[in-house]
Amino acid sequence: MNQIMSNKRVIALYTLPALLLIMVLIYVPLALTGYYGLMDWDGIGEMTFIGLDNYAALIVDGAFWSSAWHSLLLAVFSVGSLVLYLGVSLVLASDVKGANLFRKIYLIPMLLSSVAIAQLWLRVYHPTNGVMNRFLTSIGIENPPLWLADTSIVLFAIFIPIIWQYAGFYIIIYYAALKNVPNEIVEAARIDGASPLQIAYKIKLPLIAGIIKVTIVLAVIGSLKYFDLIYVMTDGGPNGASEVMASYMYKLAFRTNEFGYGSAVGFFLLILILIVTYLIRKATTSKDDEVQY
Amino acid sequence: MKKKMYLSMFSAAAVLSLAACGSGDNEEASGAAGGNDDSGNNAAEGNEAEGNNEGASEDQEEVTLDFMHLWPQGSSPDHYRIVEDIISEFEEEYSHVTVEMEVLENEQYKNKLQVVSSSNQLPDVGMTWPAGFLEPYAEGEMFAPLDDILDEDGMRDDFVAGTVEAYSVDDQAYALPLELNIAPVFYNQAIFEENGVEVPETYEDLLSVIDTLASNGVTPIALGNRDRWTGSMWYMYLADRIGGSDALNSAIDRSGSFEDERLVDAAARIQEMVDHDAFIPGFNGLSDQEAKAEFMNSSAAMYLIGSWDLPNYTTNEEVDQEFRDNIDFFKFPEVDGGEGEINNWVGGPGVGLFVAEDSDVKEEAKAFVKHFTEEWGKRSVEDAGVIPGTQVNTDEVDLPDLFIDVLDELNNASDITLFADVQMSSSVAEEHLNMIQSLFGGEVTPEEFTEAHEEALQAED
Amino acid sequence: MSNTAAMEKSGQGIKIGSLRLKLSSMILYLILGLVALLQILPLIWLLLFSLKDNQEVFNLAPFALPQDPQWSNYARVWVDGNIGLYFFNSVLVTGISVILTILLASFVTFALTRMQWKLSKLALGLFMVGLMIPVHSALIPLFSFFTTIGIMDNHLSIILTYTAFNLPLTIMILLGFYYTIPRELEEAAIVDGCSIHRLFFRIILPITAPVVATTAIINMIYNWNEFVFVNTFISSDSLKTLTVGIQNFIGQYSTDWGAIGATLVISMLPILIAFFLLSNKIVEGMTSGSVKG
Repeated sequence: MNQIMSNKRVIALYTLPALLLIMVLIYVPLALTGYYGLMDWDGIGEMTFIGLDNYAALIVDGAFWSSAWHSLLLAVFSVGSLVLYLGVSLVLASDVKGANLFRKIYLIPMLLSSVAIAQLWLRVYHPTNGVMNRFLTSIGIENPPLWLADTSIVLFAIFIPIIWQYAGFYIIIYYAALKNVPNEIVEAARIDGASPLQIAYKIKLPLIAGIIKVTIVLAVIGSLKYFDLIYVMTDGGPNGASEVMASYMYKLAFRTNEFGYGSAVGFFLLILILIVTYLIRKATTSKDDEVQY
Repeated sequence: MKKKMYLSMFSAAAVLSLAACGSGDNEEASGAAGGNDDSGNNAAEGNEAEGNNEGASEDQEEVTLDFMHLWPQGSSPDHYRIVEDIISEFEEEYSHVTVEMEVLENEQYKNKLQVVSSSNQLPDVGMTWPAGFLEPYAEGEMFAPLDDILDEDGMRDDFVAGTVEAYSVDDQAYALPLELNIAPVFYNQAIFEENGVEVPETYEDLLSVIDTLASNGVTPIALGNRDRWTGSMWYMYLADRIGGSDALNSAIDRSGSFEDERLVDAAARIQEMVDHDAFIPGFNGLSDQEAKAEFMNSSAAMYLIGSWDLPNYTTNEEVDQEFRDNIDFFKFPEVDGGEGEINNWVGGPGVGLFVAEDSDVKEEAKAFVKHFTEEWGKRSVEDAGVIPGTQVNTDEVDLPDLFIDVLDELNNASDITLFADVQMSSSVAEEHLNMIQSLFGGEVTPEEFTEAHEEALQAED
Repeated sequence: MSNTAAMEKSGQGIKIGSLRLKLSSMILYLILGLVALLQILPLIWLLLFSLKDNQEVFNLAPFALPQDPQWSNYARVWVDGNIGLYFFNSVLVTGISVILTILLASFVTFALTRMQWKLSKLALGLFMVGLMIPVHSALIPLFSFFTTIGIMDNHLSIILTYTAFNLPLTIMILLGFYYTIPRELEEAAIVDGCSIHRLFFRIILPITAPVVATTAIINMIYNWNEFVFVNTFISSDSLKTLTVGIQNFIGQYSTDWGAIGATLVISMLPILIAFFLLSNKIVEGMTSGSVKG
């Protein structure tokens, strides 16, 4: 048995193709990003080696740190919203009549491309014609917020569509995980007289703990390198009020001809993600835990 | 140093030669026509030469010429059609060349250009923007100098003076312009009449027009400042009207400082306008297109935009005829005691064609750029509503009056200040654009605004 | 646990309990229904959006009916948009990438969770870090790599990229599920003389069908809507995918939004159908899996 399950040739056969692929297509670019980060390069012509100058500049770059802060906030919000998705999934995966239909409907927005989502939410937030402000004015609020134009709320205004955009993604994962919980265990508990809440809390959640941890990591990583809607809806503005690390990096690399510096930001972003992921792992993994990630 | 060159590029006299109007200029027009004939002859000669070549080696090697542009068929059908026509004409003339084009949308185009150039894979011919955008490509020796085409049968004179210079670095031209724009203030005559206001001639007039409109519940000005260059134009004009073209230009070319009193004053006036509720609510969160929609549905009275938008107010059948008839434009008002002239414009060339330095078919590519620029110049205004970088003879083209008026203004321009975000290097431009949003949003004082510019400009040196 | 149970056992308790149950299930359905409505609205919005002209897109309220529905938007998209070809390319690229990704990821996850080898943790770490690279950092390195090996402007370049970039995420999601498969299962199989490949293909893969369907949906959506890599690596019009159709209507200074809406609707239909089919698999797969388990 053990011999079969530790057959080196099979292990190589199963893992090497994928490893090779990510080595070449992800790790080489990663290494190059690190390398470009040591260069003064506009992304077009010749590059010059400047050592750690880019990182020295990064340390004192206020715009970078404010974008990093925004990214961290987004990560916190995304992780917080997982509770909501989990709740919805618990309901959908229970025996509520019509759950199957609801599940499909709930996942529909996830099929929309970012282009469509951005256009939709721009219409929601439009200062005069938008769904939101038309509603607010109709209930008698005279000066409704200007949402994306207001530096003090733009960041939170943009978080909502982002979190909404990913709802389907997490719900579908939780749903599949909950459906994976053996029926017998749930039935047994029910016969013992456990309430649905108790079944969810005491039985289902512990059983899908592994996948919950995975989603926390995914939410954090996804948030820290998030780019799409911010780029389309606010372009990081007004004046950086909604800038996140990835959009800042993009601007440096592709707009202001500071590809070297942009790469340094990209590399730093990677290191930051590594640290945060490590911390989460530390915080959520107990010693005897079988689930490793 | 380099900057200074294209800052002062549009001299009054030079721009005057733009379009031939009236009898006096007819000579010149025919001269230009003669020039065209010449080039025609040359082309014929070229053909002969080619013919000879063909005689020598029947099978001239078939080559492919890659051409990347940003006028997709869906959004720009007129542009696209002209491009296709030009390509098929060219392929007829140079039978051994096949032109393969790749079309990308603006943003994606810019990204791809940078990615391909980092791997030395630029298309043989492509589009570039002037000045700040082009500079790294020229300095990185990615674009080929095109002075040889320009000097061939006097092609340089076909261009509106100053436009080629916007694509030049160290006195060498790296692209040939296809577009030239100025930015008038478009306004809705019906709204002006209803509210009993007149076209403002001074900044004070403008403020009182704004006040009247605002108190009547009409949005005075549509401004989509999420795109930032839109707000930048308002600042550029005020800076120009207060300090003349010198104030801004000397600050940028470093012969002066951005912490110039006149530039501070211009910034203060922007905030004064904001305080008077001049601009559409939430302008910092709106894109130019969203703001434009407010102007197009007659809920905003004024809109400052480049002349590329003229078709919307003239020929675009999708736009309500009554609305189009209501639209006129005025020159940006003067500021009392300011040094600027009312005939100064903010504007400049848009995209131009480059040839890749490493192209395998450089000769063909250059011929293509030359052919393209000439043919484009003949057709673009009439067929696509694009004012080309080459001179347009307003007598010979059939255009709506509003179009002719703008062309005439371009003709009479005393100076054209290049759009700030094009003129500055990309990183200074980014700071400028961000500060524009903050200035309009009231998050910085005029002093902080100019100080931030000064710092960014100094960091460049 | 016993409180509610006890109450339900007494006669009165049943009445109150069922009344409360009825009320709470009504509230539950009300909430479920409301959320479902909210999730469907974007589709309706998109449909209306695709029938508006450029003026109406901005001037009308998002859910207002267009005065004169612009069916011509669809005609324009069909004629100018070259949709048929792009459509075929999208299906091809998405299909191959999804299959490749899931197969490779399942191999890897199987080796990581079921087989014993020293470097498995390191390998897992390598895959996880792959999640962290920001897309824009990879553009220039990948472009030069594909140019060097000569698969630029070839579907292979985007298929490989999609696969590599989705592998880490897919593996992460699979992991949580693989850990829940009971060890006895493969032990029994091995004892029965099942080869390891047979074990993987005949037993493990079918059991994981729900999660495979889940990751297939996620992968499919990502690949279908992706455009940065397509634009960068593909130049020939004949090889481009549907997202390019959207760009076709973005102009230098203005955008044809109605046509973009029509393109979005057209390109969303197939993915909607695929989604409904796959989404059933999440449940079906589980039942068939549990029979075998």
